[in-house]
Amino acid sequence: MKNVRLFYKKGDRMRFISHLDMTRFMARIIRRADLPVWYTEGFNPHLYMTFALPLSLGMSSEYDVVDIRLLDDGYDISTLCGSLNAVCPPYIKFFDAKDPVKKAGDVCFAEFKIIFDDMGEAKAELESFLSSNNITVLKKTKKGIIKEIEVSDKIINFSFDTSDTNTVLNITLPAGSVENLNPELILTAFFEQNGSYYCYDITRTAIFDKDKKLFK
Amino acid sequence: MDKKRLEQLMLTVQKPGRYSGGEINQVVKDKAAVDVRFAFCFPDTYEIGMSHLGMKILYSLFNERDDIWCERVFAPWIDFEKVMRDNDIPLFALESRDPINLFDFVGFTLQYELSYTNILSMLDLAKIPLKSCDRSDADPIVVAGGPCACNAEPLADFIDIFFLGEGEKVDLEVIDLYKECKKNGFSRKDFLQKAAQINGVYVPSLYDVVYNDDNTIKHFVPLDGAPAVVEKRIELDLDKAYYPDRFVVPYIEAVHDRAVQEVFRGCIRGCRFCQAGYIYRPVREKSAATVNQQAKALCVNTGYDEISLSSLSTSDYTHLEEMLDDMLCWTEDMRVSLSLPSLRIDNFSEELLQKINRLRKSGLTFAPEAGTQRLRDVINKNITEEDILSSCRTAFKNGYFSVKLYFMMGLPTETDEDIVGIADLAQKIVDLYYSLPEKPKGKSVNVSISVANFVPKPHTPFQFEPQITMDEMMRRQMLLKDSIKSKKITFNYHENKTSFLEGVFARGDRRLGGVIAAAYKKGCRFDGWDECFNLDAWLEAFDECAITPEFYANRTRSFEEITPWDHLDYRVTKDFLIRENMTAHNGLTTPNCREKCAGCGANSYGEGVCFEKR
Repeated sequence: MKNVRLFYKKGDRMRFISHLDMTRFMARIIRRADLPVWYTEGFNPHLYMTFALPLSLGMSSEYDVVDIRLLDDGYDISTLCGSLNAVCPPYIKFFDAKDPVKKAGDVCFAEFKIIFDDMGEAKAELESFLSSNNITVLKKTKKGIIKEIEVSDKIINFSFDTSDTNTVLNITLPAGSVENLNPELILTAFFEQNGSYYCYDITRTAIFDKDKKLFK
Repeated sequence: MDKKRLEQLMLTVQKPGRYSGGEINQVVKDKAAVDVRFAFCFPDTYEIGMSHLGMKILYSLFNERDDIWCERVFAPWIDFEKVMRDNDIPLFALESRDPINLFDFVGFTLQYELSYTNILSMLDLAKIPLKSCDRSDADPIVVAGGPCACNAEPLADFIDIFFLGEGEKVDLEVIDLYKECKKNGFSRKDFLQKAAQINGVYVPSLYDVVYNDDNTIKHFVPLDGAPAVVEKRIELDLDKAYYPDRFVVPYIEAVHDRAVQEVFRGCIRGCRFCQAGYIYRPVREKSAATVNQQAKALCVNTGYDEISLSSLSTSDYTHLEEMLDDMLCWTEDMRVSLSLPSLRIDNFSEELLQKINRLRKSGLTFAPEAGTQRLRDVINKNITEEDILSSCRTAFKNGYFSVKLYFMMGLPTETDEDIVGIADLAQKIVDLYYSLPEKPKGKSVNVSISVANFVPKPHTPFQFEPQITMDEMMRRQMLLKDSIKSKKITFNYHENKTSFLEGVFARGDRRLGGVIAAAYKKGCRFDGWDECFNLDAWLEAFDECAITPEFYANRTRSFEEITPWDHLDYRVTKDFLIRENMTAHNGLTTPNCREKCAGCGANSYGEGVCFEKR
């Protein structure tokens, strides 16, 4: 038995599904591809899978990670991406399969690319908003209580991509089981303060370990 | 609308996965390379529509043909409907996202009466004229099929063509005719007239209805050579009939999110309230080999880890044990769990239970339908109290501790004694559990009784019967509630208002078209959903159209009266229905098709259970 880490990107029509939908989907394509995977041995056996970092509904992703467990140590893992892509819709692409380096729980940060519809003046305002040391967002806790939290010191870095005609913001935020900050909370806070709204698309471009190295 | 804007709007509503498309096994074709585009519309939400087997069969069947591209369309939930209206987004098909008014056919499946306003809502969102008579040659042909087509009249204003019975052959024949007509300068009128000549096709605009002074129907007048009587179509040999080897697999969870394998059509039982038991006659079975081969292909191609068998009464399948021996082997190898719904109480054997005991234990479900033996005989539910108790005894001994029982209320000849009988039966099951030394240790029993309101349906022996009033439904529900003494019994019952409306439309005539249109304008849609249903708006609509709904729901019809479905021939004769109705009132039962032919008329197909060797 061995664990294998699968790397994939997804988006387009597959942006609209939740993490729970994604787990069902993943199990089904693994079964469709007829991979020799290990099932848990409990009362209701299920296919073993661990996602490194769930993706919010609505976001695309260029670097997502799921671990599966193969029954056969000698299985040629270089065939995995081809087998999976052959049974998948075109909106998800597996691009690598490797032995895991880090533990699945070691994800600490994620980088997002946010493309706005023409923002005009508001771009400068967003820039100064993100640079300020007072960014209060409203976050719903697991108990359903809405709490105000101050997040200005949690933004690891951000930059605007000027080569594009649209406004493109790249931002790195805490992500993972210890601390997690959804960029949409910051955008909502900005729109609230600015009294404006601009449509945007979010792509998660990378996930990192605690040393801000690409999670592998 | 550009893709980006549409997708941003989708993200503003609940469950955008309902509208995204792009699932495993969806079919995408080059629209320039097909002759006919078909929008298969399910007039309810995605999660409900994606659970429907008929749609899966026809979707795959149509798409097998290179010249047809069939796509799926569902009713947008009220949040997205508002977004669509506010932003002028026309109703689109999930695969191509093209507006469906560009399609050749827009087809609705009619599964229940309370989805009728959704049909109008979908046509309206698609910018297709609501009424058949207002459509031009450039508009799509609006077709409909499914069980409710057996009384098509309430939708006669809105639907160009109804398909009666099973669609596998007749749908394609109509599509072929359409292609032919397209070649020679298409005229809608000419096409509809020609289509009406195809067996199984009902074109309501080709019939005039004449009424008596008392508002009953005097007669139907066929026009332009349309047949006086339209017969339903069926597949005669189910081993040779088309069955898909793959389903579109939803991303978001559908109501029935699993592979579904059909084992037979029709039902031998002849329960007198059950429309499905009559309109799908005669019983036609698949062989065990066909069932296994088709089911396995579905599991391989979908990746589902669960499969259920579909039929009206799975334990009546003559090859059940043979089929299960095979199926239990390969499903275990493939780690697929198998579920067997629709098991009847009387032939629920110990061996069968041993077999399903290898499967995951869910609850047990029985449908005695009525609380006393007298009433069960009236409705021809040929099971005895002893059948029920002995099945429960077997189940309890095998580790089950939860039983669900389905009943109906408002059945013909029902008295208060029959209502109290429901509570008594449930109590006997509770007492039985505690009397058994072998009962599961440390578990308390739970008997859940669900009571639906009886709605008389066309093409059944009870089509002549009045539905009880809403007040009376309420009184009987409260009587039952007060009769339940044990906390081990859970009681669920239906909303009376929706049952009443269902009763009106089930046996309505084409004068109800105006009411549906008026109710839709008042905002009625998703009438089957409690959070959307608005009886007051419906009553206003009836009022505006000067129509008394009670005329349709609560009136006793004479055997001689011409019903709105008399010209739709489901091969079960009216004489038989009358005979069965009288037998019911005499409190007598009719043996099932395998015991003795009751002479319903379905043997005229020359196939099926009527010709089984016994």
